[in-house]
Amino acid sequence: MLKDKEFWLLAGGLSLAFILYWFVGYPLFKEERLVMFLVITIMTANLIYYIRYARKGGDIFLRSIPGLKAVEEAVGRSTEMGKSVLYVPGIMDMDQVETVAGVIILGHVSKMTSRYETSLNVPVSRSIVMKAAREIVREAYTMEGRPDLFQDDMVHYLTDDQFAYAAGVNGIMVREKPAACLYMGKFYAESLLLAETGNSIGAIQIAGTASQSQIPFFVTACDYTLIGEEFFAASAYLSQTPELMGSLKGQDMMKAGVIATILFSLLMRILFDLGLIKWNIISILTVQ
Amino acid sequence: MLWKRQIPILIATVVGLSTLFGWFIDHPTIESFIDDDATQWYDILASFAIFLGALNLMKLQGKKVLKQKSGWQYSLFAIGGFFFAIVAGFIYKGNDAVEWGVHVTSKGTLFKWMFEYMFTPLSATMFALLAFFVASASYRAFRVRNLEATLLLVSGIIIMIGRVPLGSSISSWFIMYLLILIASIVVNIKFKDKKITFGTLLAGVLIVTIWGSILGWPLDQPGLFYLPVLQDWIYNNPNVAGARAIMIGIGLGIFATSIRYIIGLEKSYIGE
Amino acid sequence: MDKISDFILRAEKIDRRWIFLIIGLAVLLPLFFPLGLPIRATIATQKVYDAIEALEDNSKVLVSFEYGPSTKPEIHPMAIGLLKHLFTNGHKVYVTCLWPDGLFMADEALTEVAEEEFNLTYGEDYVILGFRPGNEAVVKGMVSNIRKLFTTDVRGTLVDDIPLMKNINKVADFDFIFSASAGYPGTIEWVQYASDPTGVPLSTGTTSIMVNDIMPMVNSGQVQGILAGMPGAAEYEALIGSPGIGTSGMDAQSIAHLVIVLFIIFGNIAYFIEVQRSKKY
Repeated sequence: MLKDKEFWLLAGGLSLAFILYWFVGYPLFKEERLVMFLVITIMTANLIYYIRYARKGGDIFLRSIPGLKAVEEAVGRSTEMGKSVLYVPGIMDMDQVETVAGVIILGHVSKMTSRYETSLNVPVSRSIVMKAAREIVREAYTMEGRPDLFQDDMVHYLTDDQFAYAAGVNGIMVREKPAACLYMGKFYAESLLLAETGNSIGAIQIAGTASQSQIPFFVTACDYTLIGEEFFAASAYLSQTPELMGSLKGQDMMKAGVIATILFSLLMRILFDLGLIKWNIISILTVQ
Repeated sequence: MLWKRQIPILIATVVGLSTLFGWFIDHPTIESFIDDDATQWYDILASFAIFLGALNLMKLQGKKVLKQKSGWQYSLFAIGGFFFAIVAGFIYKGNDAVEWGVHVTSKGTLFKWMFEYMFTPLSATMFALLAFFVASASYRAFRVRNLEATLLLVSGIIIMIGRVPLGSSISSWFIMYLLILIASIVVNIKFKDKKITFGTLLAGVLIVTIWGSILGWPLDQPGLFYLPVLQDWIYNNPNVAGARAIMIGIGLGIFATSIRYIIGLEKSYIGE
Repeated sequence: MDKISDFILRAEKIDRRWIFLIIGLAVLLPLFFPLGLPIRATIATQKVYDAIEALEDNSKVLVSFEYGPSTKPEIHPMAIGLLKHLFTNGHKVYVTCLWPDGLFMADEALTEVAEEEFNLTYGEDYVILGFRPGNEAVVKGMVSNIRKLFTTDVRGTLVDDIPLMKNINKVADFDFIFSASAGYPGTIEWVQYASDPTGVPLSTGTTSIMVNDIMPMVNSGQVQGILAGMPGAAEYEALIGSPGIGTSGMDAQSIAHLVIVLFIIFGNIAYFIEVQRSKKY
């Protein structure tokens, strides 16, 4: 990690370099995307700032998320019942951030299953997800000192097709009757098919997704649901690593910035509509 | 370690940064890389990764059959289906009049037959299950537990009925009479006085009847009590407001995760 | 009264297969005995219709098929309705598919509408460019250069030899985009990577579940209306005056919705009795 002085020198240097670049006529830069560029830069800087803040031991408060507390409970319950834990990391590939978040949480869940010596079943619908998930589970089992419990087939591929995958997972549920079903990732119409089948076998169910339209289905059929941001915060909450905690704080600051921008833009737009100012803020905020 | 750790992180950082900041650069080579090549490379790599998945699937199903584990008979279908699709796609066309490649959508080919008579009904069946599951889930879960749940329930019912033609056929005056009846029940539960209950009911019925007679009982007037208008309003206002808030939150979450990826703080893709 | 309450409480714990049976009958019976309920277009559907009506004659419309057999009952009727509307108004249709099974849907829809109903000529009135893997990369690719992405159409003809493809090089050359979408990749990708950057107007038809995701974009004007699930298809059929599968499915959907609402009400009565009894004891 850079020392404070080095960090601020680097940040200042980069800003100065951009200002100079701007004054020499910004060759090859798409001028109409300047606002977007500045927003991304400020947001990234804000994230890095808070990650550094957390690394230096800064105090960051995380509110408790009941769904995440329940994950350990669900794994414990499976152990008591001598049944497996079923983990579904969504139906999309690793290019979707929700899948990444799902795979990260899988790492934490597999640590718990290795600790409790509970069997874990992870059917996946994409080959690359299979590889990434397998690596992360292997790492978790090794870190917990139980590489002997890890098997490659814990994470296995079913099919790329949405409903064939749902049928496959439902089949596993009905045949093996896992005590806990965790759905963490990107989901579409198969969400209710999975959650209702899980409900019918009496499994404790925890879902996490940023797929807006599937949230109601999970809320209806699961015991706990991590909604949108909670889902992304889950990995920070579970790992408590400064990088993730800091980025969470940074995210909150960005949200405050977005709210302030919305309120300011609303005011500016009202003034523009009333003819009191001639400057339409929408023209600046619209991404070209 | 270099190949399994440093190089993948370097690739993620370089490609991530160039894709992110390349969007602001006005240069045809960079634009072409970002718009076409980078994303297509990923898809080409991902397409080849299918072999990994297919092999894993066959290995597991094959093991199940060989060891005759419970439910091994189902595995026969999986293996049979896999090889049947390969034959239909790459080995036997079933209609010599069409070219390879075009045979996928041409009439009279084995692949088209497989799609129409095997894949289509199976997929449709799975999707159709949703209707049944929605019914059982809503029957079990929609309960008037508190104010929020009641609001959710009422708006859910308005949308379900208002969205379909049945809702357009229900007069707003019927809804008003229904509301008066519900209000009277609430009054009865609250005050437990028959006179007050009857008075509320009578007053409500009289007001609605006189109002309706004056206006001539139009089906969709007043719009406030016409289900299709109400559902349109719920869809376009409270629903969109909530959806936007969730969307912004999710967007920020995606942004933060992506930046962590690019600057090398997130290494889940290499198993860390 | 207690007996009725007991019955309701017992019925609440009914095996869910009975619910499945009742829903099955509620969907099936109206298909055999149609009620002919009147169909009224919502504002979102009307916007789609108006956007198509506002197109000048001979407009070039890009229609993207992003659904498969599973969601066919919801989206296929609106694709058929839209194609009928476009061909009636004399527009040229270019079809692309972001889903592999969308190709089959497109082929079926165009055979039914363009070939059998309108007797149109392939390559002159409509063309199917086909499916390319790559999700949003395909959309991005089409925005920069269609000919780099599609060298031949679905029938193996070189794109340069297709008369309809003359002067079509990128998305900006189209007058309108319609996305018949059941998920990812679909409408959102078309808005983000094609319609917003190029300014080409876009409308969509989606499954009922997806409407929530798209509605903010409809309200902001990024999407010109939306056909929402089977009701959206039925409303569109009513607007173009050509009742089809969407319309015939509406009675079944109406009754199914009504039955679900009745289930919910019944469940709440049981819940109310339960709460009252627990308070009593």
